[in-house]
This record gives sequence, structure tokens and C-alpha cells, in this order.
Amino acid sequence: MLQLLSSKKHIIENILRIYIKTSGNTLCIDIDPKYDIRQIKNIVAPKIGLEPDELKVIFAGKELADNIVIEDCDLGEQSILHVVKVKEKVPKKINDYGMKPLCEILDDSMFSPISESRNNSISVEANDVAHILNNDTDANITSNQQVLVKKIHFYVYCPTCKGLKQGKLRVRCNFCKSGAFTVHSDPQNWTHVLENKQITGTCENDTQFCEDILQNREPTFAEFYFKCSEHISLGENDQAVPLYLIRPNLKQIQCLACLDISYDAVFVFPCQNDHVMCLDCFKQYCMSKLTERQFWQHPEYGYTLACPNGCADSFIKEIHHFRLLDDQNYDRYHRFATEEFVLQSGGLLCPQPGCGMGILADTDCKRITCQGCKYVFCRLCLQGYHIGECGPIENDDLNNQSTSCESELSCNNGNNGEIASRTTIKIMTKPCPSCKTPTERDGGCMHMICTRAGCKFHWCWVCQTEWTTECMGDHWFG
Amino acid sequence: MTCLSPSERRLQKELMSLIKDPPPGVSVDADQVEQNLFLWTIHMEGASGTLYEGERFQLQFKFSNKYPFDSPEVTFTGSNIPVHPHIYSNGHICLSILTDDWSPALSVQSVCLSIVSMLSSCKEKHRPPDNAFYVKTCNKNPKKTKWWYHDDSV
Repeated sequence: MLQLLSSKKHIIENILRIYIKTSGNTLCIDIDPKYDIRQIKNIVAPKIGLEPDELKVIFAGKELADNIVIEDCDLGEQSILHVVKVKEKVPKKINDYGMKPLCEILDDSMFSPISESRNNSISVEANDVAHILNNDTDANITSNQQVLVKKIHFYVYCPTCKGLKQGKLRVRCNFCKSGAFTVHSDPQNWTHVLENKQITGTCENDTQFCEDILQNREPTFAEFYFKCSEHISLGENDQAVPLYLIRPNLKQIQCLACLDISYDAVFVFPCQNDHVMCLDCFKQYCMSKLTERQFWQHPEYGYTLACPNGCADSFIKEIHHFRLLDDQNYDRYHRFATEEFVLQSGGLLCPQPGCGMGILADTDCKRITCQGCKYVFCRLCLQGYHIGECGPIENDDLNNQSTSCESELSCNNGNNGEIASRTTIKIMTKPCPSCKTPTERDGGCMHMICTRAGCKFHWCWVCQTEWTTECMGDHWFG
Repeated sequence: MTCLSPSERRLQKELMSLIKDPPPGVSVDADQVEQNLFLWTIHMEGASGTLYEGERFQLQFKFSNKYPFDSPEVTFTGSNIPVHPHIYSNGHICLSILTDDWSPALSVQSVCLSIVSMLSSCKEKHRPPDNAFYVKTCNKNPKKTKWWYHDDSV
């Protein structure tokens, strides 16, 4: 009985609903994944009044040959196949290339191994694996030790599923955005996929757009994008962000932090040595750097981190990788990034506890009114607005209290529940003489280093000016 | 077997590799580590051909449960504290990788190697110029001190 039930279920699972997009309209058909492309053409042709031989089926940048079976194409539920009319009836020479599906044929795992693991290199043996996405020009991947790669996936951040998911590579015309587009060559590396105008192709869309381009003899280019493979496609705009630094750990490289080898995905830093961290340690690394405010505001990439080994030019460019943080920490990441951006753009943050709104005001304007909480304050000392010179900041009671060095940014932001009152901040903290960030000293020496990564000013807790050798001689420890 | 935390797993691995394959002149007190995985004592010999040849030192490593994302607290302990321009007589070491330049990619072994090379490159044995004042006033935890790293050439 049980068996009967499960076999029944099996039959139901075998129906795949897909969409067929033709130049005029979209058809919805139910098929068996065992069908080949010829059978699809036979089904579609009468519905659009053409002969099966007049049709071309395009999926993910490739024209699919008649003998290709649907289930080998990794077509998900509600995927879209493009069907166009063959333009010229010239029988085309069938070459291997171009008649295979493009999808899932890319192996992005070839981050160059650290020398000793080189003999572990991987050979790819799967019918649908045609090309290897290799960032390294060194394509020497044949070896006696062959490892069979089952299915290689890309990792994406899916805004629908809200998380790290496996992804699928898709192609469209970069000009008219039509999916009825065939590529002239497969992408070989991440640059081909991520940058514009790397791979040329032919747009099969009937609209006038791309015809015009062709007449002007400009090449049409492929635009690559990713879809989440873990939920049913919600249409052509349902895209996911490629987290291309997360790769399957085919070479079984050790995590540099926990020294374990994880067999799933790992994070590969964009440095020359391809340093590797497991995803758990990567999250830990981000969290500890975030708490210490040691993310860096990169002029092009935004608020980001570099390889923990201090490798040159190793900043993470795609900041969606920080989506690996849980929601609460991702929110914190966003807030810190915004604050850092405001400060570096010459703006300031409202000093009122619980507000912390970013304010960009003319530099010669001393009287600042916060748009958020309406607090009116002095730009120079961040105290309530006053006329004339800024007064000394009261901190007399505190000089004899031995407290800390680990200077911490007190939260001057919307974290309502846990915020110290304005008075507490005033009593417990002193502003960094350079960026005015309220800083708390919780023990240790008088030599303060502003913990804001963008500031890092060395200052003296006693003098409240830049740290000097005199301070070290006189009152290093108070 | 009990389930180990990530920092315990990492320390366990570092310990095994340090016992199996220690850098020259460095050995870990395994018995003591067995008592407490978060507190290590390391024996170190002055390298031959350097000012510290024939001397023996003891280093203490204290780890937090955030290790390796948090740096270990490293000090010289015992009766013989090396006389060196970057080492205070209370055992505190002025070495940037122990605070500002710490990275989870570093390890006990790499810290030991840095200290060995710091000792080996010394040309004249003397205490840091501010030794007396520092030792009198500083916090017990060297990580609470912000160093101005002395000239690396010594």
C-alpha cells in the first residue's frame, strides 16, 4: 500500500509546467521531463501555426538541439523556453558547440589551490558539464586523481527566499533584455559573467531594436544574470544576486580560522592567494569586525572588509556577501555603513541619544537642527547650541576613576531600548578630538585610538588632544 | 566525546600540530594545557648564534572563547624575562600582531616564530626606555595598553 502511494506520487512529480515564449505570446504547457526538444517543437508548432522544422528553441543563451532531453537542462517549474522562427532555411552544420545547454555547465570552483593541495585537482566528468569557469588562467586540471563532480551550483542571495541559496545562470540580450538570445561562446570566468560586454551573441528577438543594432554592425552582447534554483520562478524579473566569492569546496581547502575542512560551500577572499574561510567563520569574522567598527568605507565598493591575512587589494566588492549575517546584524551593518558614509562625506550624526540621524549641512553653518528629533546643537562641540566659544566639556568627576582603554563607540543611534541617557554619555565619555565620536574608556592606558575604522585618531584621554611622547612620559597610565 | 566549541576545536588542532611538529627551540607544556585548553605555557630557547643563546624562557598564552577572532593575551612568565628593547620586565611584549595587527589567520605557532625572530634580531640587550614607569602603572592585561610600536629595526 505504501509503495503504491509513493509510486503514484512519483508520477505526479513528473509533470513539469513550463512557459513557451514566442514573438507574440506566451503559452503554458505541461510536459514530461523525459520529453526531448523535438517533442516540444511538435507540441508548440501547431499552436502557433508553424511547422516544427521552422522552430528554434532557445534556453539560457543556447539553441537546444532536437535530441536534448528536458530533464538534462535543469529547467525548473515555470521556467521559460523561448521559441523563435528560423530565419534562413540554410541547414546548419551541427557542431558540438552551441547545441548543448549552457545552464549549470560552469564550474566556478577553481580557486587556485595553495600549492600543496595542487595534486588534488579536479577533473570534471559529466555530460552536461561542458566548460569550466576558471578565474585562473592555469587550466591544468587533469590528474590521475579524478573526482566526479555531481552537480555544480552557483550561490546567490535570493531576495524572495531571503537567504543564501543555490543559483542558476541565465542569459539575455543586453540591449532589448529578451531571453531569445544565443551566445557565440560560453563564459570562461567570472569576469565574463559579471562585467558588461564580454561575450557576443545573436539576439533572436523580432523587435526592431536589435535589428537596428545589427544594421549598424554593432555586435550584440550577452547579459548574464542569476535565478534562485530553490523556489518556483516568479517570472523574468525574479533575479538573485550572485555571491561569487562563495564556492563549493571541491579542493577541500582548510578554513584559515577553524582549520576544519568543510565539504560544502566556503568563502574565498578576493586576494591573490585565494584564502579560504568556512561560512560559519566568515560570519564570525564579519560580526567581530562589525562590533569593533573595523569595516572599511571603500570609495567604490562601500562598507566592506578585506582578507584577514592583510593581502593587498583584497576588499570584498559585492557587499551582498554580508547578507550572510543574520537580520539583526545585517541591520547593524547597514546602520554603521550609513553613519560612516555620512561622517566621511563631511556630515554629522545627531548627538541626541536614540536619534543619531545623519545630517549633511553647509560646513560654515554652526547651528545645526536635526530634521529627525528637532534637537538644535553646535556643530563643533555637539552640545546644545550656544553663542560664542564652545565651553569645556564637563568630566571632572571622572578623572580619578580608573576605567578603560578599549574605547567604544557609544550607540548614538536608534537603538531605543538599551541606550544610555544623554547624561550618562556625557559623564562616561569624551569625544574623539578628531571626529567627535563619544568614546568610553574602560580601563588601561590614557592612549586612545579612535575605534572608528575611518578615523583611527591617536589621542590622549587626559589632554583631549593628539597623543604625544610627552603624554606617554607624563601620564601614560594616568 | 563531548561537543567542542569552535575555539576549542581550533585550539585542539593547533595543540596537536605544535606537539607533532614544533618550530625549533619551541615546545608546549602539554600536561598543563590538558588541565585548561585556554591557558598554555610554552617553553622557548634562545636561538644559537644570538644574544639569547643558552637562555630558556616561558611564554603564557591566554585565549578567550572568541579565539581566533580575538587575539590571545601573550606574556613572558617565570623567573627569566628576556632583556629586550620591546619586552617589559613584567613580561609584557610590545608586538603589533598581538593587538592591532592580529588576524584569525595567525596562530600560536606564528606568534612564537615572530617572538623568536624578534629576539634573534636584537643587537643590544636592554629594557624599553619607559620600563620602570610602565611596569609600575600598567594594567595586568597587556591588551589594555595601546602601544606606539617601537622602531622595528631593533
